[in-house]
Amino acid sequence: MTTLTAPGTTATPTRRPSATRGLVRTVLLLHRPALYLWAGLFVALAALLLWLYGPGTDAAAAAWREYDRCTKATCAYDQDAILRYKSYSQYASIALAFLPFLVAAWAGASLIGREMETGTAQLAWTQSVSPARWLAVKLAVPAALVTVGTSVLVVLHRGMWVRGQGRIDNAKGWTDTFVFHANGPTTVALALSGLAVGALAGIRLRGSLSALVMSAVWTVGVRAALSLALPYLWPTVRTVTSLTHDGPTSLGITVHDGLLTSTGARLADPQCGSSHSSECSTLYHRLDAVSFYTDSHPQSHYWPLQLMATGLVLVLTALVLLVTFRLLKRDTGSAPLTKGAAL
Amino acid sequence: MSDTAMEAAGLGKRFGRRGGWALHECSFRLPTGRVCAVVGPNGAGKSTLLAHAAGLLAPTEGSLTVLGSHPAAARERIAYVAQNKPLYPQLTVAQTLRLGHELNPARWDASVAERITYENGGLDPKAKVRTLSGGQRTRVALALALGKRPELLLLDEPMADLDPLARHELMGTLMAEAAQYGTTVVMSSHVVAELEGSCDYLLLIGGGQVRLAGDLDDLLAAHTLTTGPVRDLTPHTVVESRTTGRQLTALIRPQGPFSGGPDARATTPSLEELVLAHLRSPEAPALILASARTAAQESAA
Repeated sequence: MTTLTAPGTTATPTRRPSATRGLVRTVLLLHRPALYLWAGLFVALAALLLWLYGPGTDAAAAAWREYDRCTKATCAYDQDAILRYKSYSQYASIALAFLPFLVAAWAGASLIGREMETGTAQLAWTQSVSPARWLAVKLAVPAALVTVGTSVLVVLHRGMWVRGQGRIDNAKGWTDTFVFHANGPTTVALALSGLAVGALAGIRLRGSLSALVMSAVWTVGVRAALSLALPYLWPTVRTVTSLTHDGPTSLGITVHDGLLTSTGARLADPQCGSSHSSECSTLYHRLDAVSFYTDSHPQSHYWPLQLMATGLVLVLTALVLLVTFRLLKRDTGSAPLTKGAAL
Repeated sequence: MSDTAMEAAGLGKRFGRRGGWALHECSFRLPTGRVCAVVGPNGAGKSTLLAHAAGLLAPTEGSLTVLGSHPAAARERIAYVAQNKPLYPQLTVAQTLRLGHELNPARWDASVAERITYENGGLDPKAKVRTLSGGQRTRVALALALGKRPELLLLDEPMADLDPLARHELMGTLMAEAAQYGTTVVMSSHVVAELEGSCDYLLLIGGGQVRLAGDLDDLLAAHTLTTGPVRDLTPHTVVESRTTGRQLTALIRPQGPFSGGPDARATTPSLEELVLAHLRSPEAPALILASARTAAQESAA
């Protein structure tokens, strides 16, 4: 044990050291298993992404070169390398996309919910630490670790994905929902929102299990709502194509498509196909359709969409934090008269 | 420095909008340096009162000040041990004391905390808190509270889960520490025997309100337990009276000199008799002695 130096007999000390630093150390000590788990997850995912970036991409790209160069009926190429890259890159994207839910569940259950349930939050609030300070540090420490960890993983994922573009024919495109989020800051923002919601659920529900469920469900909901709202967060580009094409041509993420009439009105695509077929040609003539149109997002909209979505999630996170702190302050400091305490 | 450890003015707390009042129109004053027992039946509002004093709850109405300021502002100078003695089960005893140091850097006195934890058949520093018995947990919780060197120590049913020996030992330690540093102690209990001999101030709470408040000896002296033939007890205030045959046993507050007559006996009640009589008679008027009155109560009186 570390020997603690006693401040002697001074009952009213003149020096007033802040308890914040001690609180940071306490948070790290109390959540050591979660810290190790996070470090382990980070190392494993980072190792996977680095492998994919280097040897994985090289082997799969070489195999695809062999395959594309093949003109004979049978050619030798390293199919395993292609399949390995495909599987592992998908695992990596999905794992990264699921990190926010993990963070939310942990924040609700372990970080705040359990403390409220067992009354150890009260224990902390009756030391020289106010409830608001306690919550701020409880959130700031994991927020820093989550931000740094997910940011590094997102950068690695993006590097891996960019390096495979044009070299690996079956690599997922930028519009794939897992790739879309794993390649940009929305993952970081969603993880932070999970942390905030976990805190709100813990403070409000005062039980680890209920807070776990609420924060995980909420984060899934936010993610689903974000997917629905995403295409509308930036103006689309309209592509007008001839009816001789097989159908409307999307640039990436499609928002609307269909037929344009001679007056410029929009019609739903009857799914007929090219006007080369006389049947479709007659149909289009009858509808007064002159061309296909598509309102979609090209790849150049990736960053505007990402940043708008990130901003939206961060605003929501800020609101959740505001509510959480107000709730704590209203109850000041929101003491759970834990089960068994007589009123 | 204020000579008032705790002062409630019209304090009320309701849990939820439709819940009943846990505390209602509670007013009293507790001078510093006292060891005060907060007594009352289960659900009387004892825990709620202590949680307010510890800065853990915001009152629905009225106010409570501790050590002359808002409980949240006096956080550093107050220690609180909750009824269920919450501690972090994953920490060791030594880590728990270290936590006390980390979270109270300006006040922590390791020697006090270590003396309570480790001396006299004390605990193993490396033992995990989750492996401790109820009494051992109480010991660590008290060490954490006293290590902070509080000016006001709030204990909610501190000895409830202890065997008589451990209770006696810990109470002794507690009283010695409190006496040494002049700490004001406020201790709730529904076991009156636990408090007799260690407390010099009494706050009796029933139905969310203060029923009795004041110096314990003065409160006892203000009451008389009388046994004798059935008779009219006016003008004295009768707290409780029971008739068995032609015998009358009553706890009264004598208004002026009291003589029960040749066959009657009159004695000063014990703490237990005083408390039980008041608990059995919720309609008896409250008695708040001068030292326990707030300024507003004083001027009203």
